[in-house]
Amino acid sequence: MKDLFVEIWESVRRNKMRTILSGFAVSWGIFMLIVLLGAGNGLMNSFLQGGSGFATNSVSVGGGWTSKPYDGLKAGRRIRLDDGDVAVTGGDLFAENVDQVSATVGTNATVNYGKKSINGYIDGVYPAAQEMEKRVLLAGRFINDKDIADSRKVVVIPESTAWSLLENGQDAKTLVGKHIKVGDLAFQVVGITKADRMRNSRDLYAPYTTVKTVYGMGQEVGSISFTTKGLDTEKANEEFEKQYKSVINLRHRAAPDDDRAIWVWNRAHQDVEMKQGRNILSTALWIIGLFTLLGGIVGVSNIMLITVKERTHEFGIRKAIGASPWEITKLIISESVTITAVFGYIGMFLGMVSCMILDKTVGQAKMSIMDDEIAMLVNPGVGLDVAIEATLVLIIAGTLAGFFPARKAARVRPIEALRAE
Amino acid sequence: MLIELKDVNKTYNNGQPLHVLKGINLSIDSGEFVSIMGASGSGKSTLLNILGILDNYDTGEYYIDGRLIKGLSERQAADYRNRMIGFIFQSFNLIGFKTAVENVELPLFYQGVSRSKRHALAMQYLDKLGLADWAGHYPNEMSGGQKQRVAIARALITQPKILLADEPTGALDSKTSEEVMQLLGQLNREDKVTIIVVTHESGVANCTNKIVHIKDGIIGQIEDNREHSASAFGINTTMK
Ligand SMILES: Nc1ncnc2c1ncn2[C@@H]1O[C@H](COP(=O)(O)OP(=O)(O)O)[C@@H](O)[C@H]1O
Ligand SMILES: [Mg+2]
Repeated sequence: MKDLFVEIWESVRRNKMRTILSGFAVSWGIFMLIVLLGAGNGLMNSFLQGGSGFATNSVSVGGGWTSKPYDGLKAGRRIRLDDGDVAVTGGDLFAENVDQVSATVGTNATVNYGKKSINGYIDGVYPAAQEMEKRVLLAGRFINDKDIADSRKVVVIPESTAWSLLENGQDAKTLVGKHIKVGDLAFQVVGITKADRMRNSRDLYAPYTTVKTVYGMGQEVGSISFTTKGLDTEKANEEFEKQYKSVINLRHRAAPDDDRAIWVWNRAHQDVEMKQGRNILSTALWIIGLFTLLGGIVGVSNIMLITVKERTHEFGIRKAIGASPWEITKLIISESVTITAVFGYIGMFLGMVSCMILDKTVGQAKMSIMDDEIAMLVNPGVGLDVAIEATLVLIIAGTLAGFFPARKAARVRPIEALRAE
Repeated sequence: MLIELKDVNKTYNNGQPLHVLKGINLSIDSGEFVSIMGASGSGKSTLLNILGILDNYDTGEYYIDGRLIKGLSERQAADYRNRMIGFIFQSFNLIGFKTAVENVELPLFYQGVSRSKRHALAMQYLDKLGLADWAGHYPNEMSGGQKQRVAIARALITQPKILLADEPTGALDSKTSEEVMQLLGQLNREDKVTIIVVTHESGVANCTNKIVHIKDGIIGQIEDNREHSASAFGINTTMK
């Protein structure tokens, strides 16, 4: 082993400039690969963080219109969810796959605070909504079970709604404990949640039971949300949705296989799509990176070809004194792999440093979308897995680069090699 | 017989076919010191390359120690060259970026001998050839005679059955030439090394014990030269 490295070192030393130039192309290829993948990861992390408004195992259900006649009723009938549906969802039938259940019912209402007045939308929710919709509390608390039980007149306000009720520059948190007027009734503000993307500035959250009784909603339910458990595969999710739809549909005398009678929005699918998107992006980046690297491989291969040509006579001597073709092949390929690996690691190291620099600079820049700030890049960089994969790529690349020159060197008959000068 | 050639033919086929060896029959016994002498272009080098398994022949048979040397794989040929044959070339063929001792070690490297062991052995052979002080020098720092002695050390280190030398004195002045030939004679006498020297100089041939004349690819007269009297210049005259 040591002998081999001594041989490689001697050869490299005699061709310093040439080795460095071709090695640089390899460094550049790996550098690009690492930076591209790192930035791509940062971008995907940023998307994932931004898109995580809901827990990925949460499902929302709403009423729709029937699309086929059933049980003597015509198609095109409006389906309204009701308390019975909520009970069934949280009941024994789906106990295996349904975890927490929340329902909403909402209505428009004029909201007043001080001199400000907005056209708000009051959403009756269960405590479970906080976790399902990933509401982050900035101050106070969320709707709790006691609020539900007592139908208390309390509200939780997203920051963005609070701003529209306050004078410019006032801190949203100061609203906690204050009373605001919703329609004709006074509600106490018990919590402020973080404003999040895509949410308008007129939502308020009140206990489900309060909204129901105050606004005389009867049995009607706006939408049902629940978290699922034990649905690990796409197939399991689809199976569950199909069964769920048929049960709810039948409660409303709609065909069990009617896809439009109620709508079911399962974030699990979104999650899968997100993962697929991530895979597509990283595959694309790998391909770009590999093509960049290809230039380096061709460069090293060329250098090795020239080296082999120059050393033909030397190989002739070696063969005359007993070097087998494999010994010659080994010499060339290990030289090629060594050059590729050393320069590849330099590129990999620089690429990782650049990812860190990206994190400190571009990564800190924020994009502002709908009052919500998200970082451009979140944790750019590559993991150990990519480093290992890249190492494998380098070894394969080096072998490939050395393969044809090595074969050429090994094949020359000793007598011809000795004649060469 | 150590070496036996039976009706060996060789034709070069690049462009105009050239029938170089036209039925060579030759036997050489272990311990002989033979020269193959002939004019330039008579096919001496071609014959020596076949003897050294560097090149192959078209028809006939070639045996070393009773083993037929024909249609060998390159790997096998390399192994035979490594273990049975030592080469000395006119142009020395030392590897320029390796020191004298590294050059001498190389055949043992291909036998998988450990670093320290082959270094010790190489030093021993360099010492035997009076070059111990030159072990760390590169070929371009040495004189022609020194280089050829390094090459001889390299050829001897595997203790081959046969030492093949193609015009070993061709690039040396007459004094050094004589020293090299004396050295070969001494190796033959004292260490019983079988040596075959190719030359076109009668003076060189006269240093050997048997002279095989080759002309136009055919073996001619075979002279017994144990008296070393074949030279036109008489016994013990300088060669050139
Ligand atoms: N590789 C080759 N291809 C074609 N012709 C060759 C080759 N090697 C030698 N010859 C020719 O074969 C003849 C014998 O060559 P060679 O054996 O080298 O002669 P010598 O060593 O006796 O001078 C010469 O005419 C030479 O030109
Ligand atoms: Mg010749």
